[in-house]
Amino acid sequence: MILGFDIICLSLILLCAVLALCIRDLMGSVIVFGAYSFLMCVVWACNGAIDVAFTEATVGAGVGTVFLVSTIYSTTRMDTFKKNRLLKQLFMFVVVCVVGALLLKTVTDLPQWGDANSPANTHLSSYYIENSIDQTHVPNVVTSVLADYRGFDTMFETCVVFVAFIGIFALLRIRKSKSKKAATNQPTTELTLPPHQEVDSLIIKTASHLMVPFMQLFALYVVAHGHYSPGGGFQGGVILGASLILLAVSYNFKKALSILSEKKIILLVSLGVLIYAGIGVICFFLGGNFLDYSVLHKILPATDPIMARSHAMLGVEIGVALTVMVSMYGIYLSLSSNGRFDKGL
Amino acid sequence: MEFIINYYNYIIVVIIMMLGLWGMLALSNLVKKLISMAIFQTGIILFYISMGAKKGASIPIIKQAYDEHHHPIHQTINNMDYANPLTQILMLTAIVVGVATLGLGLALTQRVYSEHKSLHEDEILESLS
Repeated sequence: MILGFDIICLSLILLCAVLALCIRDLMGSVIVFGAYSFLMCVVWACNGAIDVAFTEATVGAGVGTVFLVSTIYSTTRMDTFKKNRLLKQLFMFVVVCVVGALLLKTVTDLPQWGDANSPANTHLSSYYIENSIDQTHVPNVVTSVLADYRGFDTMFETCVVFVAFIGIFALLRIRKSKSKKAATNQPTTELTLPPHQEVDSLIIKTASHLMVPFMQLFALYVVAHGHYSPGGGFQGGVILGASLILLAVSYNFKKALSILSEKKIILLVSLGVLIYAGIGVICFFLGGNFLDYSVLHKILPATDPIMARSHAMLGVEIGVALTVMVSMYGIYLSLSSNGRFDKGL
Repeated sequence: MEFIINYYNYIIVVIIMMLGLWGMLALSNLVKKLISMAIFQTGIILFYISMGAKKGASIPIIKQAYDEHHHPIHQTINNMDYANPLTQILMLTAIVVGVATLGLGLALTQRVYSEHKSLHEDEILESLS
């Protein structure tokens, strides 16, 4: 928690945010936005939120940037400039300044930065910190709160990812049967080579081939070791998804779909949610509440109710990782190929 | 000066949120609108994380001591020594859901582009009428 460092980073963040909105080349503004996310991740590490920093580094800066780039690739790169938009922008600037001034006035009512006795830091969160080890044997409080104490929350967040994936899939996929003709004469942008010219670089292929196993091993470690160190299902799942995206980028769509076909993608996304909800339902049948893991010691060998909670958390994290991994991969495939699943970035 | 240092995070939160809001309202490019939405979202996340920070506290992973038989030694855990885990988990899931909604927004943008051949709000409105 280095306050000076925090202040420098936040100032840089402000600069990046302004640049991202002002640069007229969309590609540039996306890259600046990626830098913004990385700086944000440093700020979160400064504020003691190491798990959030990890998530931001993988999700916000990594996969989010990839999604934006693939959209620019399948649409257009330049932001045109028109004078008649300026008046509206100026008017909105005034409106936003008024709102901002009102919000700034309330800032002094908030507790000071780093105040350990503020309401947010005393009531519920202290219970989690003091009881996590005794009740679940999990030192990483973030994981135990995520997967156990607030299990319902995480389950429905996983469902949101699942639904968003299904939405993207349905939105973009629908066009293939409707108007195949319109899809074929998409304008190609100057951003990369035209899609029919396949990029065939030995260096990129070999490098990604060498990197992918280590990325996946690391991702599995992140998922499995989430109880003791920063990490868990969300972060590990995104890294796994990123390794698949790397393969899809360095090879072509045929290779990408040979790893995971469309059918498998949809099945695996649902399987992840099913694992999570299924663990909840098993608890149900063993006589506990939904997602009350402690009753699982009846079927897990050599465990007591406390260790059963720890083990069930791992199962839940695996379900989350599966859903997140496959949905990130599927979203990338849909966005970069404009839903046609034939060729992309 | 003291005021600025104590409330710096919150001041930045307001500025970032207003930048995002301005981008969503004033910019006509759809991709830039989505970037503004993501910027607005990070403003809210920064607000929560700043709330949960404690001066002089460690990350929320409990230091556990073990005896020679690898059994955990019971120890009293002080709330002040660890950053607030609750605000962190709320924001952790918010980031992942944020990127999923960003993807959904981008998919909608692509659909709009394939219909109207433009990413600009005013040009799309023109071609609609």
